[in-house]
Amino acid sequence: MLRRKFSLAAAVVTATALSLTACSGGEAPAADLTTVSIMAPFLEAQPPTADGAVQKKLEELTGKDINISWTPNASYEDKTNITLASSEIPHIMVIQGKTPGFVKNAEAGAFWDLTDKLDDYPNLKTTFPEIQENASINGKVYGVYRGRAPMRAAVMFRQDWLDKLGLEAPKTTEDLYKLAKAFTEQDPDGNGQNDTWGITIPKWGALGTNSPYDFIETWYGAGNRWTEKDGKLIPSFETEEFLEANRFVKKMVDEKLINPDFATFDGTKWNEPFFNGKGGIIVDVDSRVSVLVNLFKQADPNNFENKVGFVGNLKGPDGELHAHPTDGYSGFLAIPKASVRTEAELEKVLEVLNTMNGKDAAILVNNGIEGVNFTVEDGKAATIKPETEEGKAVTTDIKSYAQLGMNVKGNEFYPVKQPTDYEQQVFDKRTEVMAEDLKSAVYNPAAPYVSATYVAKGAQLDNIVADARIKYLAGQIDEQGLKDAIKLWNTSGGDKVKEEINQLWQDNK
Amino acid sequence: MAIPVIDTRAGERAPSTASASRKRGGFSVHFAHYKWLYLLLLPGVVYFAVFRYAPMYGVSIAFKDYVPFLGINGSPWVGLQHFQDFFSNPDFPRLLGNTLILAFLNLGIAFPLTIVLALLLNEVRLSILKRTVQTLVYIPHFLSWTIVASLSFLLFALDFGPLFLFLNSVMGTNTDFLSDPNWFRTLIVLQEIWKNTGWGTIIFLAALATVDQDQYEAAIIDGAGRFRRVWHITLPGIRSTIIVMLILAIGQMLNTGFEQIYLMTNALNRSVADVFDTYVYFVGITQGAYSYSTAVGLFKAVVGIVLIFGTNALAKRFNQSGLF
Repeated sequence: MLRRKFSLAAAVVTATALSLTACSGGEAPAADLTTVSIMAPFLEAQPPTADGAVQKKLEELTGKDINISWTPNASYEDKTNITLASSEIPHIMVIQGKTPGFVKNAEAGAFWDLTDKLDDYPNLKTTFPEIQENASINGKVYGVYRGRAPMRAAVMFRQDWLDKLGLEAPKTTEDLYKLAKAFTEQDPDGNGQNDTWGITIPKWGALGTNSPYDFIETWYGAGNRWTEKDGKLIPSFETEEFLEANRFVKKMVDEKLINPDFATFDGTKWNEPFFNGKGGIIVDVDSRVSVLVNLFKQADPNNFENKVGFVGNLKGPDGELHAHPTDGYSGFLAIPKASVRTEAELEKVLEVLNTMNGKDAAILVNNGIEGVNFTVEDGKAATIKPETEEGKAVTTDIKSYAQLGMNVKGNEFYPVKQPTDYEQQVFDKRTEVMAEDLKSAVYNPAAPYVSATYVAKGAQLDNIVADARIKYLAGQIDEQGLKDAIKLWNTSGGDKVKEEINQLWQDNK
Repeated sequence: MAIPVIDTRAGERAPSTASASRKRGGFSVHFAHYKWLYLLLLPGVVYFAVFRYAPMYGVSIAFKDYVPFLGINGSPWVGLQHFQDFFSNPDFPRLLGNTLILAFLNLGIAFPLTIVLALLLNEVRLSILKRTVQTLVYIPHFLSWTIVASLSFLLFALDFGPLFLFLNSVMGTNTDFLSDPNWFRTLIVLQEIWKNTGWGTIIFLAALATVDQDQYEAAIIDGAGRFRRVWHITLPGIRSTIIVMLILAIGQMLNTGFEQIYLMTNALNRSVADVFDTYVYFVGITQGAYSYSTAVGLFKAVVGIVLIFGTNALAKRFNQSGLF
């Protein structure tokens, strides 16, 4: 009896041990690659389901089972780094930028170098080689970049307040100051109380992330992350214009023209003060204009016009327009070697990407399915009204699937037809203003270059200056303190970053 | 929790003293005699070996330049490079200072408060009142830090938070508690007290229940007042529990609570808010510097071990029973 019990116990222990070893032995993916796994971020409240119409259409187009692991955008970078260190690596990964984690892995050979491969595929051969260059690591292309509108900076303001005070839309940074002052002091909402302010800025510190601070600095002529001075590249924050721009913002903070909690204000509530009539100005990307218009429309569909006004980039104190462009891409789709092991498999994956970058797939992930959720009217995609259940599902899904869109040959999908004439006007004006500003764009000359020191500790370095910037604006430190922080950036390794970036820049000139 | 730990230890010692007397028989006889006890021990040993000790080989990446693609074994050794970088980093003194200050504040304020609250609860004679209060003070423990942080943001919100308005009108200032670095530690300790003090009383209340009631009666006859009884009977009665809890608390001291601090940090208070835990997350996970942050984490663990052994030795020196 006892013996039997013992052998049972032994069996249990053995079985447990076996199942443990079974867990750790990861299966290699089949060479014929019938299933392609993709890791991508989603920004909506819910990720799309795997059996939706868009997913099915995408599988039909590519001829593969597509297995997408949707990951919340907020923790995407953490998840990317963790995934790379795990044994479950997808065939295609959306990489959101040249983060230190990615660069290190890429340089160690974790991703396929696609520099000489992309041109062999008609839909992957870019018509914007300079953006591909920006997305590269010192000239090496590790992924198919996701093209984004290169010009997006805008100033939006309450048009009804502007009209009421009899003011004009700002053209220069000085105008912006005057407008913010008028919105703060002249009771633009007419309730007889001093309860409004000018510009709303949320908690947004990091350098070079297209924050309102970055925009204003570029407008002042500080350049865009890096700038050329006396034949050398220096970080924007080492220019005199950077200090001037921040003096300008600080003046507005001191005069209470900016929300006092700008260091802690939650970015997801950014629209609220604007909509509720507290803070009348937002400096952000131009797509927010349409978001704001839509907010007013939902609140009152009969009276939402002329609530939101906007202009593009503002002229600096030197009277010149230094427009702030993005790098023209938002990350890229990279192919890890750990999951795609051979050149033959790589070709298969690149074919899938080639299809996904074709016109049909571009329309699918950006517009949806024709006849289900949209129809084409004078070359524009118009939403089918009334919306069917099916159409609604597609419209919701593509908000996430658009994350897979690369558009390296420009946008091949249909522009969206706006539901009302007013919204169409706003949309057309946005396109027009941004196209005009693009002519004065100040690009980041160091965009393609990645310095080894920056990879090792760039983010901590940049934090020194980013935090000092906010502290200076909040009055915790004076201008000398800000300058000291910039000096500390240099002595903590920044001077080495400068040296390396300049070397790369010289070598590639 | 602490008391059963000691009991197990005592139980384990019994066979080892027995084995000494049977030395002649050697290990095989000893093993044959106690085989069922060893079998009972097996699952525990397997658990610790598989889930606690085996993963420790990953700590070796603190001495390597780890790149996931190359794997733990394939990454090149760099010796103590990461430790050198860390100790020579200007962040290091700041992180160490912030971590220690917060740790000692928590230990010096939150820990005694737990005992005080337990004593207060113990003095409540009305059973229904005691139970109600006990339940009420346990509740915050079950709220996540996210909720505690949201509540704080609401209460201290600039210009309209009730506590912001009240405190500033009392002090005649205009302080933004959420971003002022001078208030950061106060907020953190207050949150910690609010959330965990009630929960911490459980063990002390259990210990208080074991204090001999006769002693109180004798003391009352001798004319001892309430405070004298607490000082001369209650506190000595639970002294060993306090010491064990203190040693455990000191071992956990450097775990300043990642979530809480991460949620309360912003650009204006980062200079006092950065601690080892948030730094490891920031550098290791979000920037992919796995090796460097492992080195930082390892350093923290070593400091934690030193603290535990140090306190234990100290407790023994003062003639108290330590934890081990």
